[in-house]
Amino acid sequence: MTSAVIADRIQFAFTIMFHYLFPIVTMGLAPFLATYAVLAARTREQRYERALHMWGRIFAINFAVGVVTGIPMEFQFGTNWAPFSARAGAVIGQPLAMEGIYAFFLESVFVGIFLYGRSAVPRFLYTLSIVMIWLGSWLSGFFIVATDAWMQHPVGYTIAADGVIRLQSLAAVLLNAFAWWQFAHVLTGAVIAAAFILAGTGAFLLLSGRAENDARMYVRHGVIVACIFSVLAIFPTGDRNGADVTHDQPIKLAAMEGLFRSEYGAPLAIIGMPDTSRRTLIDPILVPKTLSFLAYGNFEANVKGLDDYPRDLWPPVELTYYAYHVMVGLGTIFVAVAALAAVLLWRRRLYESRWMLWILMLSMPFPFIANEAGWMVTEIGRQPWIVYGLMKTADAASPNVAAGETIFTTIGFAGMYFLLGVLWLFLVLREIAEGPGAPAPAEESAR
Amino acid sequence: MSTIAFSLIAVMIAAYAMLDGYDLGVGAIMPFIARDERERGAVMAAIGPFWNGNEVWLVAAGGTLFALFPRAYASAFSGFYLPFMVVLWLLMFRGISIELRNHKTNPLWRAFFDASFSVSSALLIVLFGIAVANLLRGVPLDEHAYFRGTFAFLLNPYALGIGLFALIVLSLHGAIFLATRTEDAVGERALRVARTWWPIAALAYGAATIATVIIHPLWSNFTAAPVLIAIPLVTFAGFAGTRIFTGFGRPHAAFAASSVFIGGLLLSAAVTLFPYLLTGYPDPATGLTVGSAAPPSSALAVGSTVAIVGLAIVAVYTWVARRNMRSARSRASA
Repeated sequence: MTSAVIADRIQFAFTIMFHYLFPIVTMGLAPFLATYAVLAARTREQRYERALHMWGRIFAINFAVGVVTGIPMEFQFGTNWAPFSARAGAVIGQPLAMEGIYAFFLESVFVGIFLYGRSAVPRFLYTLSIVMIWLGSWLSGFFIVATDAWMQHPVGYTIAADGVIRLQSLAAVLLNAFAWWQFAHVLTGAVIAAAFILAGTGAFLLLSGRAENDARMYVRHGVIVACIFSVLAIFPTGDRNGADVTHDQPIKLAAMEGLFRSEYGAPLAIIGMPDTSRRTLIDPILVPKTLSFLAYGNFEANVKGLDDYPRDLWPPVELTYYAYHVMVGLGTIFVAVAALAAVLLWRRRLYESRWMLWILMLSMPFPFIANEAGWMVTEIGRQPWIVYGLMKTADAASPNVAAGETIFTTIGFAGMYFLLGVLWLFLVLREIAEGPGAPAPAEESAR
Repeated sequence: MSTIAFSLIAVMIAAYAMLDGYDLGVGAIMPFIARDERERGAVMAAIGPFWNGNEVWLVAAGGTLFALFPRAYASAFSGFYLPFMVVLWLLMFRGISIELRNHKTNPLWRAFFDASFSVSSALLIVLFGIAVANLLRGVPLDEHAYFRGTFAFLLNPYALGIGLFALIVLSLHGAIFLATRTEDAVGERALRVARTWWPIAALAYGAATIATVIIHPLWSNFTAAPVLIAIPLVTFAGFAGTRIFTGFGRPHAAFAASSVFIGGLLLSAAVTLFPYLLTGYPDPATGLTVGSAAPPSSALAVGSTVAIVGLAIVAVYTWVARRNMRSARSRASA
């Protein structure tokens, strides 16, 4: 693999991972925002108006950074991955074009109304615009996942004599079974992150002794939603994703689990360090036969290990393994934290349990890590393929862009994103510190 | 089919130039129209609800180019790697400047973002002008149709001239837009700036037309289908209308005329380019045509249909939303 490919991969990984922090919040917060908007319109209660105002402002900051960091993503296919674009563009270009036309226009028109039209449009249109933003953000997520799912599990194509991949059926690409469970899992991840942000922010306000009624509402809504969705993330969505990987990408499964030798009744490694040179898992803690059961529903089933596959078809084992274990470990902790908080809520002791409020407040960053780790498993585990089984990543990088150019621009992106990250954190923390104030007078002047 | 696909992308890029063109132009012209922070706030509020939707045309056109003509997409974007990265950074800086300026009332915070908004808008216009100029002039391509050339090649006098021309006409376009959406001193000043800049734009328009005829002597499409000559004629009429309506103090009509002018310029360029998506240099025939850049499959028909249906839906809800915004405002003022 030439260094240009490595440079291109680092650039893509860095820019996509930074960008994805924001869609997590956008996709996760949008349903909360839409719910508060509908409740505010129907009940006219001030607490919902205040919630809409505060979370709307946080949403707006987040949306802005998400939009600007998203622009380079689409164009990187052309700049850094020209041979891939030229060969597969007839297929993957379709969902990407649809994202622009069907999702981005929807979001941008209604975000314009949401941010600037509060006093200029009828109330129903204002409420509707927030629901439309929700729809737009989830549609956008779907088209991206459909693009990725095609790279994981290509369907609906034929290959021409010159190697160019032709579109055979757009419906097959959009209805790809791989895409739908992956999309469901991505959405649960985003909703969990937003739920923990709500609960954590409410906990912060309660611990600071401010805006207590509103803060309790955020904690309550956050904890209940986090409890439901952290279970959904494991079952059925995580489980079904695992089944798709087991079926379509067995090498990725072996790397995720750090399984080198094929085994009947394969154990599940809870922890351990994969050593690819000695082809073994160092110091593992194993649960006997569980991997066979999770993968095939049978404690005695044969799970194939990495040794059964040629070395050059292995993904980077360590990265895939650690990312997967970080995601699953955190996912399990989310269930525990959310369930514990839910029990305290049910026993009416949550708002007085300061230790639990501290835990909720400090939990806020972790769903982001779990979301990012999940995508690392998906994408790093797909290597060495850019399109699974059809095209190698090594053959996909632009021949006319030098490694040095890509490294140079990656440093540029790093500087730019550092600035954006600082601005984002500053503005969001300021909103949280201000808490749910009186919405009406500040609104127009603040925009 | 490939003609329809080519036209679709040409129309999307023309729409981008007309729509994002005005908010880019507002950025470039703002220092000449808004005198203090309050006036700059009024200017920003005029484009605030619209700029993001306008910019989506660029992203949507890029995605559609990707789906319909993957080879052209791959060649163009990898060939112009560094200039393209500069465009991306400017777009990011500009978006952040617009969205974050209002989150703090500190005058230094706002002055900084207003300045970075103006500078990035002006630079983007010049770079887009340079890009279109190089499309018309042609670029050296190797046998796989990848660009092999230097910065110096792209920054030739013709391209720089067209960049300057773009800056002038979009500033005019932006000033007229401001005249339609702001009142009092800002609106009047915008109209006055539009009137004083018009003769400069007229000179630039003439010079750019002559230079393009010399640089790009491919006029076969106009001779083959003389009806297409209507496009540059309507473009010229739009430009004349811009002056007439600003003179009569009718900004909305002037903005419509100016939009026709900007869109017409881009469509005229598209007509002269067809069937080339990327013209070769020095021999245009080494370039990529719609035939050599398109996937030989149903992708063209499917992709074009999906895009046209989608854009029709977009047109409907944008119209409904804008109409509601306008009627609510007129109710509020009545």
